[in-house]
Amino acid sequence: MAALTVCPYCGTGCQIIVNDLRNGERVIGYSKSLVNEGKLCIKGSSGLSYNFSRERLKYPFVKRGEGFVRASWDSAIEETSRRLTDIVNKYGPDSVAFLSSAKSTNEENFLMQKIARMTGTNNVDHCARSCHSPTALGLITTLGAGAATGSIKSLEDSRTFFVIGSNTTEQHPIIGTKIMNELKRGKNLIVADPRTTQLAEIATIHLRFKPGTDTALLNSLMFVILKEHLEDEEFIKGRTQGFEELEREIEKYSPEITESITGVKPDAIREAAVMIAKEKPTSILYAMGITQHIHGTENVMSVSNLSLITGNVGVRGSGIFPLRGQNNVQGSSDMGALSEWYPGYVPVDSPKVSDLENVWKKDLPRKKGLTLSEMFDAASDGKIRAMYVMGENPLVTEAAVSDVEKGIDNLELLVVQDIFMTLTAGVADIVLPAATSLEKEGTFTNTERRIQKVNKVYDCPGEAMPDWWILNEIGKRVAGTKDYSSPKEIFEEICRVVPSYSGATYENIYPNGKQWPIDSANPEGTEVLHGSTFPIGRAKLVPIAYGPPAEMVDAKYNFIMTTGRNYYHWHSGTMTRKTDILQRESPSSYAEINVDDAKKLGIRNSQNITIESRHGSIETKAILTDKIPSGIIFVPFHFDESRVNRLVGKSLDPLSKMPEYKVVAVRLVV
Amino acid sequence: MNYLLTGEEMRNVFLKISKDFETYGTVEKEGEIVFDRVEDFNQISERRSRYAPKEFLFTRNENVLLLQEQEKKAIFGIKSCDLKGFYLMDKQVLGKDPFYTEKRKKTFFVNFVCNEPCDGGFCSSFGGPVLEDYDLQILKLGERYHVMVSERYKKYFDSFKKEDDSVFAEFRERFNSEMSLLPVDGIENRMKWETPLWKKFASRCISCGACNFSCPTCYCFDLYDDHDERRREWDSCILSGFTSSSAGNVRKELNERLRQRFYHKFVYFKKSQDAYLCTGCNRCVEDCPVDIDIKEVITDDYSEE
Amino acid sequence: MRIVRRTDEAPGVHTIEINSRGDGRSGQFFMVSVPGVGEAPISVASGFGRNTLFTIRNVGSVTSHMNKIDTMGVRGPYGTKWPWKEYEEILAVTGGIGIPPVRSLIEEINDSGKGRKLEVLYGAKTPEDIIYKTEIERWMKKVNVHLTVDSGDENWTGRVGLVTSIMKDAEVSKSAGVFIVGPPLMMKNVVKEALNLGYREENIFLSLERRMECGIGVCGHCNVGEFYSCEDGPIFNYHKVKHQKELFL
Repeated sequence: MAALTVCPYCGTGCQIIVNDLRNGERVIGYSKSLVNEGKLCIKGSSGLSYNFSRERLKYPFVKRGEGFVRASWDSAIEETSRRLTDIVNKYGPDSVAFLSSAKSTNEENFLMQKIARMTGTNNVDHCARSCHSPTALGLITTLGAGAATGSIKSLEDSRTFFVIGSNTTEQHPIIGTKIMNELKRGKNLIVADPRTTQLAEIATIHLRFKPGTDTALLNSLMFVILKEHLEDEEFIKGRTQGFEELEREIEKYSPEITESITGVKPDAIREAAVMIAKEKPTSILYAMGITQHIHGTENVMSVSNLSLITGNVGVRGSGIFPLRGQNNVQGSSDMGALSEWYPGYVPVDSPKVSDLENVWKKDLPRKKGLTLSEMFDAASDGKIRAMYVMGENPLVTEAAVSDVEKGIDNLELLVVQDIFMTLTAGVADIVLPAATSLEKEGTFTNTERRIQKVNKVYDCPGEAMPDWWILNEIGKRVAGTKDYSSPKEIFEEICRVVPSYSGATYENIYPNGKQWPIDSANPEGTEVLHGSTFPIGRAKLVPIAYGPPAEMVDAKYNFIMTTGRNYYHWHSGTMTRKTDILQRESPSSYAEINVDDAKKLGIRNSQNITIESRHGSIETKAILTDKIPSGIIFVPFHFDESRVNRLVGKSLDPLSKMPEYKVVAVRLVV
Repeated sequence: MNYLLTGEEMRNVFLKISKDFETYGTVEKEGEIVFDRVEDFNQISERRSRYAPKEFLFTRNENVLLLQEQEKKAIFGIKSCDLKGFYLMDKQVLGKDPFYTEKRKKTFFVNFVCNEPCDGGFCSSFGGPVLEDYDLQILKLGERYHVMVSERYKKYFDSFKKEDDSVFAEFRERFNSEMSLLPVDGIENRMKWETPLWKKFASRCISCGACNFSCPTCYCFDLYDDHDERRREWDSCILSGFTSSSAGNVRKELNERLRQRFYHKFVYFKKSQDAYLCTGCNRCVEDCPVDIDIKEVITDDYSEE
Repeated sequence: MRIVRRTDEAPGVHTIEINSRGDGRSGQFFMVSVPGVGEAPISVASGFGRNTLFTIRNVGSVTSHMNKIDTMGVRGPYGTKWPWKEYEEILAVTGGIGIPPVRSLIEEINDSGKGRKLEVLYGAKTPEDIIYKTEIERWMKKVNVHLTVDSGDENWTGRVGLVTSIMKDAEVSKSAGVFIVGPPLMMKNVVKEALNLGYREENIFLSLERRMECGIGVCGHCNVGEFYSCEDGPIFNYHKVKHQKELFL
């Protein structure tokens, strides 16, 4: 039996056909897909064997004393519901926190936040906080929609690509190859990245700037554009507001001045600025290099400024492409699994919440909930007593994990629903075995807003069940949510309450997905946003002053560490480290160190080293490379035996509450 | 033996075969041709499948601690290029790999000869779509089925009208003349160890492994332990872990690994098995996200240093 | 297979004896496994017919688990053997952790009762890194063994220098079989020196280590050009493989 579904890894959302003829899986890219046109990266083509791992969770477990005992679904659900209800009754609904998951479907995220809100709390959040919460906030502020403005396919019409803070060929490989193939057709590519990524190597211009100096670099690009009168005056006059204020700020950022901040030569800035403004349409693609900073939201707004003043919005081939990390992080955010928004980005304090109250027939909480980055401290303080975690592994992925440990230790109840016994599941009171995305039905929304149908290929192992089924059982007992019979029924409710999804049905998003908004005005969906107007009328230009990162190097902590993913692994490695080929390619933790730095410190390739920050220390292995500049090290966060998030501090973007994963002052101990 | 059958007769043959074998065939799924169970000859698509169905003999991921007896399967609609891949694999693994061998013995392949060259395909350079080896080879011209059947499966055709080789021979000649031939002969001597080609490929390659996974001839696999099972999974020589060991890595750089892939196909296999490990199916080109084209390896004059 | 004895040889190196009479000939290898972790190719260190010995350095995921277990999986033997029967005189040159196949060779020749003139040159990094110290003393009674270290210590009175530097002192004739096993760079230099000294390339044999997984020439990892090291090797005649570009890594 063959099924057409969606790859479970990154936000590109490649469509795959998985054919199961009792021969294990055969995975092929769907050649009719508008997203990937039949192509896949190594994770797509070779990354699915975790589905059959012998380590999959097959039964519910509850903690008794120090260990887990196997439980029936009936008793696990009864115990979960009873203990959650007891805590809500005793301490109030805000004593419970719900962690939703960008790996799960729209239906499951919708249901998760509905359970939280019908329980009476907005304490529902998920890993979008740690990836693109600055995008949602930043772009909603400036453009009125927190999503990519065009489609992956529309990149074919770009003449210039500006990639900042994205290692695209490793993190969104199929989008990366799209750019690579366009280059062969004579297009321009500017890459701004401290590391010499594969795209940087073939770029027309590589701006190798210092981590955390994004706004200085962006402002300086705009400085040149304004000085050379290359801005799109008509667009600025006709479609934006706030230009004068922006101009006043930009004046301070001549390339000569910013060189001392960013380390980039003025000529390179000039050349890049002219290219962005003149060789239009220009598309700007960015990822965690922009967002994972205490200035993440400002960085996003700064990207938006650059795009707007050059008139690079609303036309095919132009636009802003925040490359979403998780397969469904766009969708989980659209579904309102964030503590400040109800589904469809309705602010929790907006009068529009009453529309939902009418549908759900319940008074809903109107004050902002706790964000993911705040929940664990709240648990340490005793404000949060119970946590319900679906498919996330905060003990590996959150900043300042020692404090996450403390918070979790202090909980009265931790429920984890996952496909493997993750580090976080291991310390839970109740563990519920979930289905993978190949074992259930639903929808994902990819990085270009495309709502795509997810279909079942395999049966669940043992007694594992789909997340929506588990949530449904818990929700109706704890929060009085409706008893849903299928993901389709949940999707129909989503389409009733989220206007941008209102025209979607399981039928019309298959086999090719549709980009939201899909509604009566756009029955086929919308490929390019903001064509003639913005949802907020005029786009906002927001003056952004450069501010330094939270952590600076000093005599003791003399290296900047940036963290991230590598090509072979996904986040905490729950799936990829249970997948033979991927685990073989990247078996253990490492730190990339500049060759010359290593020589000075007497560090050999593969040597064990200790990395210390102001917050903690880890041991890992040094990998010497010339692709990273002197003074900077890169450490991936996939490895639970050497958790780099022990080193990351708790400085948060005040606007989006994003921790600064990308700039950590460290030192190397040999 | 060659026979000429009508559509109705072909259906009946299928029914007879389906009494002895589990029958699989090419079917359409959302516009793609994939393999699935089929119950009737008319369900089978004549279009080329989206992928080479390697998994019928070489399972993508399986436990190798347990050799299970296999069902007898008949695979309808496999194209000649993909079937030829198995015959090439045979040279290296048949009789040695017990899992492959067990399935090979129990699988009956019914290959469909393409009526016209496909986009990008270059099978003529390796002999074209009419194969010398086959179980049952079908060429459909108009509404008539010309078949070539091996001794082993002749019994299904005893009652049908025999014909001579001329239809296939003429078709082969016409087909192969329509497709431009690549200079394959002697490529094992022309290819160069040091050539800018490998670095050019490496600058674009994202190590996705699609060329290996899509190839009807690539037979390499990785062995690993998963609790109480030892499993194997399709491997890719483009990946650095393919050769890394405690003694080091013979192919640290991506350009060296890309070279290995082409050297294996056109030099090493030719020397050890007297055949090129390529069928001209073009699948590695179709699935490559960055347009690395194996045909360039064949046509390059290797004059650049 | 049950592990019946474990001997520490040098830092990070130990020898495991299993309760099975070995059917592995010198030069061959077994695929040795730690259940749940994986397999690794390990050369036979013992003479044919003796209890099988493996000498293991803790480097990979499998080998580093080996000092924690009581039983392990063993399949084989695989690969080609040292062709010692074809030579009246043999010069075995080995370095570092490459010596186990030479130990096997020495024991096999001694046990066979067939007279052979065997000379062994063994280079180690430091005196501490020399493995089979007690065995070497025993062999010295019958076999001409020369030791050298890259750098000595205060107690070291033997030779200091690379193993190539003592090859010229070998007493075997130039028609001897030269059997080489060790790190890639060492093997490369030993071959060069052997040819310089007038040994014939047809008589030079190398043991080539590669990533081996299946052991039977089907998984594709261990190729040396058109050969598979697990099947056509690990012992290769130098004359046959000298044009291979990836011979010495």
